[in-house]
Amino acid sequence: MTSPASGKTPKPFPGVRPIGRPFWLLLPGVAWLLVFGLAPILFMGAVSFWRSSIFGTTPDFQFGNYARMIEEPLYVELLVKTLRIAALTTILSLIFSYPLAWFLASRKGAWKAVCVVAVFVPFWISYVVRTFVWLPILGRNGLINQTLMGLGLISSPVEWFLYNEGTVYLGLVYVYTLFMTLPIYLALEKIDPKLIEAATDLGARPWQTFRHVVLPLSWPGVLSGSIMVFLLAVSAYVTPRLLGGTSGIMFGNMIANQFLSNNNWAFGSALSMTLVAVVALFLLVVGRWVGIREVFTGGKG
Amino acid sequence: MMAPEAPPPRVRDPYRFWRAALLGYAGIFFLFLYLPLIVIVVLSFNDSDATGFPMRGLTLKWYTRVLTTPDMLAAFANSASVGAVAAILSTGLALLLGLGFRHELRGKSAVLNLIIMPILLPGIVGGIVLLVFFGYLGLRSELWTTVLVAHVNYVLPFAFLTLYPRLHRFDRSLEEAAMDLGARPWAIFRHIVWPLVRPGVIATAMFAFTLSFDEFIRTVFVTGYERTIPVLFWLLIVDEIAPHLPAMAVVIILVSTAVSLAAFLIGRRADRSA
Repeated sequence: MTSPASGKTPKPFPGVRPIGRPFWLLLPGVAWLLVFGLAPILFMGAVSFWRSSIFGTTPDFQFGNYARMIEEPLYVELLVKTLRIAALTTILSLIFSYPLAWFLASRKGAWKAVCVVAVFVPFWISYVVRTFVWLPILGRNGLINQTLMGLGLISSPVEWFLYNEGTVYLGLVYVYTLFMTLPIYLALEKIDPKLIEAATDLGARPWQTFRHVVLPLSWPGVLSGSIMVFLLAVSAYVTPRLLGGTSGIMFGNMIANQFLSNNNWAFGSALSMTLVAVVALFLLVVGRWVGIREVFTGGKG
Repeated sequence: MMAPEAPPPRVRDPYRFWRAALLGYAGIFFLFLYLPLIVIVVLSFNDSDATGFPMRGLTLKWYTRVLTTPDMLAAFANSASVGAVAAILSTGLALLLGLGFRHELRGKSAVLNLIIMPILLPGIVGGIVLLVFFGYLGLRSELWTTVLVAHVNYVLPFAFLTLYPRLHRFDRSLEEAAMDLGARPWAIFRHIVWPLVRPGVIATAMFAFTLSFDEFIRTVFVTGYERTIPVLFWLLIVDEIAPHLPAMAVVIILVSTAVSLAAFLIGRRADRSA
């Protein structure tokens, strides 16, 4: 494993070490992550084998929680549906983000900076707020219904704008698409314009240039963005809760219910561990094509 | 008699259509991004007890309500203070980690995995693990215990990932010169490293603040009676019809974007001068 800094750091003189003892520098952060990051996850793993009843949750070692999850079709079906929603959200984000990323990468000078910041700004806002904003657009008194009624196109508000799986896609793409746009934009920006000129000079049609030059070079960005969006979408809670109604419910909502209303911590822990396992499995699979850590360090670290 | 001017040679530009299409598409995309935000700003002035259209006149009363209700002010104070402390804590830890990472050492890869883990963990699980963990430790859910831990957990990886390149990019020759001249490590840090990295550290801390200020999914599971702004906002959406929600949304939007923009500009300047 090469050190994350290799290649970037100006080479220090031999024998001159950076200041500080590495052990003491790393200790506070590592201790925090072990105690508050890793330990709670391991503990939850243990709780997922405990037993919850009306008398509370008691230590045990039994597979009842996991068995229930497999036996009752509700949970497996919801997991499959959640994976489907996350996958489709990823694909939709890719389709919508790629042209925008290209647009940003092909701007120049101050205009480019303005456009990039303009894409960023909405994503600096809490996703709870950005999910909420769709209610007064799609709801009964919403912008669309009131406009259509004002134009006389409909006589009563349309109900199906909200609270279904489609609205969940809209909300998830709206909330998370920047995580697709940004890595693709960064990858496209690295492409030497001379390559595209050369392809054009050699007679390549725009589509051929895209297919054989641009797309392969932007592939790392596409993968990074897809991983981010999929991870965020698969654990969504806010968007399906606010926009999905009963038909748009996702796995995250089922997990939350165990803690917020059913008070079944052992089963909730088992559901949580399942989601963690799904994410881990996903990362393991896509990790064959792309270094997961490079997704987060932008290939720089 | 004038010779007719030769027309300029026609340059075939196969991308003209695509450039126009791209511009059009970007316009639609920006509309998609901003229309909902514009709608919420317009609605925040609507003099109507129901959130939505039609507009029934303009009023500032919802802003007055947001900025004077004790619940709201308490939540703003909670979010701002926990955000500031979480930002300082996570940026401090990230700075130490980053300085440690400048050394050649074994096990770096494992430490990096540990740092990135909280990002890979689904957000909802990130909140629930702390609920379960602290619940069994008998620690009550409070702002300065559980919420702070949840926020630092969430913010630390981002703080590290934004700070780490900034720690590595600067020119090491000054530091090495000071070392050759016999300066103590602390003096080197105080007089050479810190002045060089300070803009980057400040930008990182501000970025960390905005992440904490907007954090919801982890907080909601470990918040006690002391609510943060996103949690209060959420409870208002879910529990009741609150006509001042658009105004509250606008206030949240203004705070988040103002701090984020400042962090972005400071960070860009720091990265340029480094």
